[in-house]
Amino acid sequence: MSTSSGSEHVKDGLLAHLAIQLRPSLAKYLTKGGVIETAVYGLGQQGRRHALLMREYGAPVAAAIHPGHGAAVLHESIPVYASMAEMLRAHPHIAVVSIWKHFATATDAALEAIEARIPIVVLIAEGIPVQDAQRLRAAAHRCNVLLFGPNTPGIIFPPERIKAGMLPDVFYPAEPEPGVFTSEGVTITSRSGAILYHLSDALAASGIALNGVLGIGGDAVVGSDFVDVVPRVMSYPNTHAVVIAGEIGGCKEELFAEAMRAQPERFPKPVVALLSGRCAPTGKTMGHAGAIIAPGANYGTYAAKKTALESVGVTVVNSQTDLVKAVKKALGGRTYFDPARYRAHMKTLWEEPPRKTGWTTSITRVEPNVLMVRGVPLQDLINGASLVACTALMIEGAIPDKRACSKLEALGCELALLPAARMTLPKDAPISQRAATLFLADAPFAAFTGTDAEWGIACVARMCACVAKSLGHTLPDSGDFGALCATALVGKPARDPALRKLLEAILAASIDHGVTPPSAQATILAASVRATMQAAVANGTCAITHVHGGAGREAAEFFLACLERSRRDAIPPREAAELILRERMAEGRRIEGLGHRVHTEDPRRDPLWRLADKLHRSGPAVALSRDLEEIATTVRGMRLPINVDGVIGAIIADCGLPPITASALFVLGRSAGLAAHYIEEIRTQQPMRQIDFRQAVYRGK
Amino acid sequence: MRLYEYEAKQLLARAGFSLPVQYGVADRIAAAEKLPLQFPVMVKAQVLIGGRGKAGGIRKAENKSALRGAVKEVLAARISGHAVERVLLEAAVPIERAFYLGVAMNPVTCGNTLIVGLDGGVDIEEAARKRPDSLFRAELPLDGGTLPPALRRDLERFLAAGVESKPVRAALAEACAQLFQAFVKYDCTLLEINPLVQSGPGLMAADAKAVLDNNALYRQSELLSALGIAGKRHDVSEPTAREQRASKAGFAYVDLLPEDAQRESGRHYVGLVPGGAGYGIFSIDEVQNIGGRIRKHCFVPLNFMDSGGGPTREAVKEMFALILDHPLVDVIVTSRFGGISSCDIYIQGLVACLRERAATGARVVPIHGRMVGTDLPAARAFLEQARQQTPGPLAQLHLAVGNERIMAEAIREGLTESLRQSEGAWR
Repeated sequence: MSTSSGSEHVKDGLLAHLAIQLRPSLAKYLTKGGVIETAVYGLGQQGRRHALLMREYGAPVAAAIHPGHGAAVLHESIPVYASMAEMLRAHPHIAVVSIWKHFATATDAALEAIEARIPIVVLIAEGIPVQDAQRLRAAAHRCNVLLFGPNTPGIIFPPERIKAGMLPDVFYPAEPEPGVFTSEGVTITSRSGAILYHLSDALAASGIALNGVLGIGGDAVVGSDFVDVVPRVMSYPNTHAVVIAGEIGGCKEELFAEAMRAQPERFPKPVVALLSGRCAPTGKTMGHAGAIIAPGANYGTYAAKKTALESVGVTVVNSQTDLVKAVKKALGGRTYFDPARYRAHMKTLWEEPPRKTGWTTSITRVEPNVLMVRGVPLQDLINGASLVACTALMIEGAIPDKRACSKLEALGCELALLPAARMTLPKDAPISQRAATLFLADAPFAAFTGTDAEWGIACVARMCACVAKSLGHTLPDSGDFGALCATALVGKPARDPALRKLLEAILAASIDHGVTPPSAQATILAASVRATMQAAVANGTCAITHVHGGAGREAAEFFLACLERSRRDAIPPREAAELILRERMAEGRRIEGLGHRVHTEDPRRDPLWRLADKLHRSGPAVALSRDLEEIATTVRGMRLPINVDGVIGAIIADCGLPPITASALFVLGRSAGLAAHYIEEIRTQQPMRQIDFRQAVYRGK
Repeated sequence: MRLYEYEAKQLLARAGFSLPVQYGVADRIAAAEKLPLQFPVMVKAQVLIGGRGKAGGIRKAENKSALRGAVKEVLAARISGHAVERVLLEAAVPIERAFYLGVAMNPVTCGNTLIVGLDGGVDIEEAARKRPDSLFRAELPLDGGTLPPALRRDLERFLAAGVESKPVRAALAEACAQLFQAFVKYDCTLLEINPLVQSGPGLMAADAKAVLDNNALYRQSELLSALGIAGKRHDVSEPTAREQRASKAGFAYVDLLPEDAQRESGRHYVGLVPGGAGYGIFSIDEVQNIGGRIRKHCFVPLNFMDSGGGPTREAVKEMFALILDHPLVDVIVTSRFGGISSCDIYIQGLVACLRERAATGARVVPIHGRMVGTDLPAARAFLEQARQQTPGPLAQLHLAVGNERIMAEAIREGLTESLRQSEGAWR
């Protein structure tokens, strides 16, 4: 069944009918937008899981409430509010809320929803004390709210494909021709959940459609009884008959019969009652708290209920086959779909492989030989985007206009020039660890507040100061942000515009590679437990090592070694490279700068080479880097394409910069990506989720 | 959860009611004789079902020699089929006048009702029939345990018409307020004093009935520990061994036949392993209905069972083991309609149970049923592989996979086939 079939029926569906009956003001909103907004209250394991299942079924889950956890997003798209009031300010037209809190706290949540006059409230919890249920019921009646539960599996509307609760997708709507669904059919209301599956299965096997399945709850006291629900359902024109599934215990069925006798005009359509518990013993609770025959009571027994219902003309059945016969008779033999369609749907549903539970990132698309940041090819950024522009793009999804960009640049300069923390750093620690240590202790960043983009710029600017200090470089008193970064990296005011441009390009090439690089993973993990951005980015930066992100430096050292060997032995650089590669292979060492787990032709390679040529900065190392793939293939016997680290290493070598500059470039450039991933995680994911990084799905531009 | 009389009285004492002197509870004569008694003494059966007076569950002992006989008789009584395990010994009090006082959850209004009767000590339903104007009924507020002024005025008007003594009227009105307060405070669904006796100037609760809301036990730990109750107890009757075993394993189970039921010839006993409470109740009816159409008075369902949502593999295994251990079971009808619960876990538990029983030589009977729903492909693959690996233990498992036929048909086929086979064996 296509989910798209749902929305067309929403306006004229049973749920809209119920909601408008209760809140006539919703009518205007529903006809305009055609969407019934539902909400979820309580995001424990059950609430989170079922919010997703409800949405996958087709229900428009517009908002969630999780006291104490506002301003987050559930399943990457459902806004989470800390209170009912906060949610209603943003979503005043919520028509249905399902409550997923535990029995000890669910009563207060339900009362809040009822008093907020949300027309339909579904209370899932089992085990709510009777006195609490009594208060809830009284409040629901006073506030004209249809309260389903406590202890209900929920409500589901198959034609609209909307549900609030945990009923599975086993109920079939009318389908006059394949793929066309309508809201006509039978409405079921029941005290129990699992029995509904068998009931609807039997009806569907005979082509009888359901337009609504409403669980009133299995407890002795529930918010709405059959007598509250059935007249509302019967006033819906597309409901042709109503089935009530009752059971022993209490007197909901007896009261229903009494109401039918007193006000027959409220019950104009045929009713079939399926009663369970004909053979149940007295005095023993049968699973449901409400399903017990009180010893000595003159109500609650199967016989009492059957007699009462039959005396007002309700057909009472006690078996699946009799139910089908009785409903068929009530409908005058009418059917609503071909049962083969139902069986095929169930088969697809049940045979379908379990859905991949992926999660979304929208920052960088990483595919073989493709790198797109927020829809912009990384090559374009290498060809002339400043680090500030790149950062803003990653966080906000677009490069800001010129004015905004220069404002951010000014902020970056102002922040970069503040002194880094005064502390003694371990001498032999890698540059990444030193920069991270300074960053973690950075007072200006800890104190910073601003928009997300400003926060990201602050992160990069302070990392710039930390990188400068860990390299022993001093930043000038002024200058634009690009110049400050260049100085941080090379130590002296970079007056050479070509070098500045090249460094800026390398920074752009380093900003991000999706969620899988270890530094991004480390940052995201810290973000998932809501560490500060400072701690999370320091964490990610510490994960930049000789194994991850250090290849540029080793590649630079490799090219320098090749050129040195070439000079020493007076052999062509190619030959020297071949010799060194063979030696390294014999030692079992990895060859840095070669090969990539994703790309066979690194998209960052050519723009960097071209830029180096254009700026007249390509020398013998860059020339050698162009031949390296071929040399390596000869030596290694397999194709090992040069990667971005190889190209960066070669450029660093040709610029006469120390190899460590390559590492520093990576640390500074990647801080922008880490900031972006941090912000994405806290804005779109639940705290402390279990993260499988292989399950990330890119859903950006 | 129903309280025994002596527990209900402790609850009332906490609420400020006077009681006849409570000497103690005894489970045999020697224990009763050790109590510091002052005669005359009432000996009262402690059972959770009503009607004990008529069934010989209450005796008055005027002196020590009469005590033995009274305790012996009461302990030997059977009250609506239930054995008496303990007796309460309390002072017999002179009764000047008896009243009825009760607060009960009202299934019609879903609120709570206060009932005051001018004739205590008799069945309240009977009093309502015989002398309706001797009863006062009022619906109680749901926000707190205080009687509203209007209700108090009505009550006082009613009492003024039926009770002459002004202090007694005042005491009765106060007792109503106390009872309601206790009802709310202790999360009762029924709190009843019958009779509330006028003995001298004061009122005394001579008998008491209390039912606590099972769902609220979690917030009544103070009361429960004062009463010495460890947790949720059984309903009216003591749980059977199988019911205890199920409760230990974490699922609901009810025996439908007495624990000592003997096999009757011409009967075919059906064990049930369905899913969900509602279908658990309904499947008992289905077996009777469908069975009755196959052969009248032949098929006897043995049990109610409810796995609860999403049972573990171990729980499923134990569910089958429990019913396979039932000495009467001839066939098992099972259904798995996996909505929330997984077919895969279900079939793994079922197969593990059958394999274990084959290995230990435990009894196995034919199992018929249907399995559809969540994780069906994995469940089907598991079952097919299991059949290849261990065909022997699974020979009696007849499971329809998928919903080509509705469950009622699966039950009909299962019952017919099982009866045919067992009769073939007899021949």
